Amino acid sequence: MIEVKNVTKKYGDFIAVEDISFSIKKGEIIGLLGPNGAGKSTTMNMMTGFIEPTEGEIIIGGYDIVKKAQKAKEQIGYMPEGIPLYSDLTVKEFISYMADLKRVPKTEKKNRIQDVMNQTNLEEVQNKLIKNLSRGYKQRVSLAGALVSNPKLLILDEPTVGLDPKQITQIRELIKSLGKKHTIILSSHILSEVSQICQKVIIINQGKIIAIDTPQNLENKVKQENQIKLIIEDKQDKIHEIAKNIKGIKQINFIQDNEDGTKEYTIRSEQNIDIRKELFAKCAKEEITIFELKKTEATLEDAFMELIQKQDEEGENECGQL
Amino acid sequence: MWAIIKKEVKTYFLSPIGYVFIGLFLAMCSVFFYLDVAYYGSLQFENMFYSASTILTFIVPILTMRMFAEERKNGTEMLLYTSPRSITSIVLGKFFASMIVIIITEICTLFYLAILYCFGTPHIQTVMVTLFGFFMLSMAYISFGMFASSITENQIIAGVITIGFFIITWFLPNFNEILTPLSLINMFDKFPSGLIAIQEIATYITFTIFFTILTIIVLQRRKSIK
Repeated sequence: MIEVKNVTKKYGDFIAVEDISFSIKKGEIIGLLGPNGAGKSTTMNMMTGFIEPTEGEIIIGGYDIVKKAQKAKEQIGYMPEGIPLYSDLTVKEFISYMADLKRVPKTEKKNRIQDVMNQTNLEEVQNKLIKNLSRGYKQRVSLAGALVSNPKLLILDEPTVGLDPKQITQIRELIKSLGKKHTIILSSHILSEVSQICQKVIIINQGKIIAIDTPQNLENKVKQENQIKLIIEDKQDKIHEIAKNIKGIKQINFIQDNEDGTKEYTIRSEQNIDIRKELFAKCAKEEITIFELKKTEATLEDAFMELIQKQDEEGENECGQL
Repeated sequence: MWAIIKKEVKTYFLSPIGYVFIGLFLAMCSVFFYLDVAYYGSLQFENMFYSASTILTFIVPILTMRMFAEERKNGTEMLLYTSPRSITSIVLGKFFASMIVIIITEICTLFYLAILYCFGTPHIQTVMVTLFGFFMLSMAYISFGMFASSITENQIIAGVITIGFFIITWFLPNFNEILTPLSLINMFDKFPSGLIAIQEIATYITFTIFFTILTIIVLQRRKSIK
């Protein structure tokens, strides 16, 4: 559905995106992740034809976004960041204008407008001026505008920013359901959102792609070690001594003193060793009261942070060698 | 292109812009109708347009300054440029929408002609030529205003550039006679005398095409540098 080949975007001497390549198959939901200024929006803007790449090519459904712009753009529904809308139009007028812009045939137009208003729950506000709507509704209007031409590819830039938790859940469910019919690429800062919705994640930092994988595989990559959260009442501070005598413990970190007199630690051990049983027994023997003993799961956030940090360190090393 | 024309005309009349433009123009026309026509007991409707063309210099930015500057500032240009519409059709759509407002304004001025018909028969051919000349002048003005709007995201700056440029062209003949053909407003003066001035019409059309193409180039170029 999408092929991005060796794409670079430069602004003078500044390289916003450097030599990125990836492809997305039909029907996939892809998450574009990265810190602010990583190049996510630049990548999306190039994919939608809003800006042109300095080098490389982007093929949407077989058409080059620069050379065959109209054909390529016909297949895209784009929901830009910051929800730009024509505030003087009513919801229905805006969706109708989007349908006209996207060449929806006259015979289908009325039905398409009705369908997207149904999908995005906009019927009750269809005759309201956009400027009088709440942010949640505006977000839905923007999504309806992207959907009205029934595009094969949906590009959503930060689709849940500024929404309340209920609206976020609704939009996520909607995106998931849209994924059955459309190929979707979305950018987000919310990692849990990406891991819930997306089948594949592209992590981008400093204009380069640093990982493309499923959220599960990315999490597994950082599951090289077990991590345990431990809250105990240990007045004599014996835990470090106990830890020394348990095989497989690599590190014990003090986190904080709690108000109730307990202490919180994280303990890291080798991946194939579960130390909880032994730790429990030894604490009991030393009359240390355990309030919490829990194995923590590596999250996509951990994977994200580790990959970003790794790349930043590599960048610093390269600078150092130069 | 029709989709863009329809939406733009709607926006002119959903917001006060269209009404302010037509209202201001007609208010000034009323003054000139009294001073240049009615005061002398004349039936020469076209005399009103000598002064009305001056007013156009100052009010054309009302129509043009927001054209692209507002889209850029509000981010709605993303919706336009990511749609399967070419930049040429977007530019022409906006241009023709403004021309529709000009046509509506000209139709409104026929009210003054109707008043004159109560007292006699004005020379209709001269009236038609004057209205055509006014249309040509407006076309040239709008093309420049549109260009000014494409180079900035600030509507006020776009408006000031437009008015500034018109005033400069106004005084060009004062610097050198060779520059007279570049003075858009002076060229208009031939039309109210009932003359279909081919050279002037050609200049207006060339000027319009030049700045329309320049607008397309500016917007196209922004895609590769923004």
